[in-house]
Amino acid sequence: MQTVTLKPKEQFKISIQAEVVTPDNFAGKSDSEIGGLIAYEGNTPRPLSELFDIKVEGSADSADDVKIEIKGNVPRIKRIGEGMTAGRIIISGDVDMRCGAKMKGGIITISGNADSWVGQEMSGGEINVQGDAAYYVGAGYRGESCGMRGGKITVFGNANDFVGEHMCGGEIIIKGNAGILPGVSNKGGKIVIEGNTDMPGSEMTKGTIIVKGKVADLMPVYQREGIESIDGEEFIKYVGDVVVGGKGELFVR
Amino acid sequence: MSELLIKNATVYDPINGINGDKMDIAVKDGKIVDSIGGGAQTIDAQGRLVYPGGVDAHTHIAGSKVNVGRIMRPEDSRSGIKPMTKITRPYTGYTVPNVYAMGYRYAEMGYTTAFEAAIPILKARHTHEELEEIPIIDKGGLTLFGSNWMVMDAIRENDLERLAAYVAWGLLASRGWGIKIVNPGGGEAWGFGKNVSGLDDPVPNFEVTPRQIIRSLAEANERMNLPHSIHLHCNNLGHPGNYETTLDSFDICKDIKPKRDRQALHVTHVMFNSFGGNNWGDVQSKADVIADYLNSHDHLTIDMGQMIFGSATTMTADGPVQYANARTFKARWANGDVELEDVSGVTPLYYSPQVYFYGMMWGIGQELALLTKDPWKVLLTTDHPNGGPFVNYPEVITLLMSKKKREEAISKIVPKAFEHCMIHTIDRELDWYDIAIKTRAGHAKVLGLIEQGKGHLGVGADADIAIYDIKPDETDATTEYDRVKAAFRKAAYTIKGGQIVVKDGEITATPMGRTYWVKTTVNNGGYDRMMEDLKMKFRQYYSVNMGNYMVQDEYVQHPVVVETEYAEV
Repeated sequence: MQTVTLKPKEQFKISIQAEVVTPDNFAGKSDSEIGGLIAYEGNTPRPLSELFDIKVEGSADSADDVKIEIKGNVPRIKRIGEGMTAGRIIISGDVDMRCGAKMKGGIITISGNADSWVGQEMSGGEINVQGDAAYYVGAGYRGESCGMRGGKITVFGNANDFVGEHMCGGEIIIKGNAGILPGVSNKGGKIVIEGNTDMPGSEMTKGTIIVKGKVADLMPVYQREGIESIDGEEFIKYVGDVVVGGKGELFVR
Repeated sequence: MSELLIKNATVYDPINGINGDKMDIAVKDGKIVDSIGGGAQTIDAQGRLVYPGGVDAHTHIAGSKVNVGRIMRPEDSRSGIKPMTKITRPYTGYTVPNVYAMGYRYAEMGYTTAFEAAIPILKARHTHEELEEIPIIDKGGLTLFGSNWMVMDAIRENDLERLAAYVAWGLLASRGWGIKIVNPGGGEAWGFGKNVSGLDDPVPNFEVTPRQIIRSLAEANERMNLPHSIHLHCNNLGHPGNYETTLDSFDICKDIKPKRDRQALHVTHVMFNSFGGNNWGDVQSKADVIADYLNSHDHLTIDMGQMIFGSATTMTADGPVQYANARTFKARWANGDVELEDVSGVTPLYYSPQVYFYGMMWGIGQELALLTKDPWKVLLTTDHPNGGPFVNYPEVITLLMSKKKREEAISKIVPKAFEHCMIHTIDRELDWYDIAIKTRAGHAKVLGLIEQGKGHLGVGADADIAIYDIKPDETDATTEYDRVKAAFRKAAYTIKGGQIVVKDGEITATPMGRTYWVKTTVNNGGYDRMMEDLKMKFRQYYSVNMGNYMVQDEYVQHPVVVETEYAEV
């Protein structure tokens, strides 16, 4: 087991692109080797050793055995865990956009808030956000026709608009409330919103959305299909979006 | 005074009839010369393949529709990323790359010249602004006239002098190289949500037919003595059964005598216009019929418009076809209305090898090239980025050179495709000389660029030279296609105007290329009649003033102006 502890040296003001921070990149490397990996602050290449105090304990042959702990708030560090296939990342604080983007495996735990596009286009693995998540949880980036394709994202706080936009697979659970248009243009996967939301499932062709709280405005593009019971609770089942010939399922109380 | 000597080259230069000869090439001040002194910089080609720099006669590299493609496809710019270096700017994109990547990628493949195939006059400034930002390669563009009110008015009144005068004005206003006609008449009809279906369908409100538009512009083209012939995108593109319209369109220019040593008609991306059948169920390749026509007639040339599987961004002045594509495939769609001149549409598509009619289209492009006996008559293009991006030319080259490569490709395509086309039955394999014609010499001849020193390595020609890391004597292109493809992807050297711009596939210098355009003098009453009419149209119909219209010289920083004069035949 290799544990890599990263302690940010300052509160960064300019956003940093740190897609190098993954168990795959760190596996089996010493602290000086990890310190030599390059992130970008604005357009300036910055070795990780300039950004973090780095401590490595133990060793690992593969990403599976790597645990990265980021001790502190990193609200201006983007793309942490991008494309990771295994291992763990634990962030004790907030994180910037696109954390866990294109992730294929492993677990990311964020104890603070996540910015937009957490789990963007991820295809496997698990992301847990203890705080709130901003826009586009598990969505596709601009223009992509498939957002999240697999894996699981759990947000224990609230999420903002466009949860799971263009989702093609996987699962998103929002324990709090979600903003407008969750599951817009979905083609698969499952979204569970335990709190309230607004206008779910527009242009959805496939997939499932379950809203346990209130739906402020249900789009008039869904056909009612009767009552169904999920985990002992009764929901009204709707199918749509009929405008796009969709067969998506929307469960609302 | 820069001097360069390329020693021990295996040269293919079809315009000068050189077929794999071992020779040296001397370069002085950007031109090919007979010989130079001993102090010149020397490249030892060690028997490797040497071609003139590649020329692309039909590609979409600049202008508002390309930019619309970029805007509507942010996801495209996430591919093909290469960071900046000391001499290159960042590359991004695949089907609609950024302007820099356009120039760099052409140069990396040994191409040194590319012509934008559609400039609406109204959007010409934008086109030239982008052309000016594309590094290394020489450029030019063809101006759209096929659905233009001024053109159709002159044709209805049978006033060829006025028509030629307007074309001359349009080429000047857009700094264009030749006449492009897209779905003649259809663009105007599309303004009313309609299209023209055949060559004799009158255009609404103008009462002229596509046949008249093609014929009159072809005649005006010869009277103006333009370097290039008319450049036609036929009616009915992409519709089952359209090959009859295509053959009919070929026939229109059969008896037109070209003033220069070139064809009277160039028909572009004919793959999209070679469909038989009545619907998408029984659609089939008619490439054999098209090729038969080409084999028995000498007045025209075509380009393939080869389709490449994967992502493509279709962009064309054929507005109605783009609307149909977007509706059929639930794809994104942008539509452009260019006031009195033309229309356009942009739609991203994905060509899947599991869809049989895409498989058929893949077959047709190659059938056209292989069934037509004379290699000069069919140019290699993908109609970038309509059939696929130009970076796939090496793939197309290897498909044409190797039956084995085609068999390998066919095995990955849905078998039903081959009930609709005949590519799997064709044995022909092209050689190095044929490929030199199809990728450079033929393009230069079709565009009328030989006099400009393009497409060949004769004394006095531009020193645009590509050296590929492959030895034709030791390489069997029919079996070693992976090596051939790798060599064409990354030239060992690209030399542009005597300067080494690519070495071992990497950009080493980024000089700015030139922009070619034609200035025609029309000294007769036609010009005055035309100007009167044009001023009226600007007053009454255009949203911009005539004074704001012309592409000024500041927009074309490296011009090469070819002057011609109008003369009655």
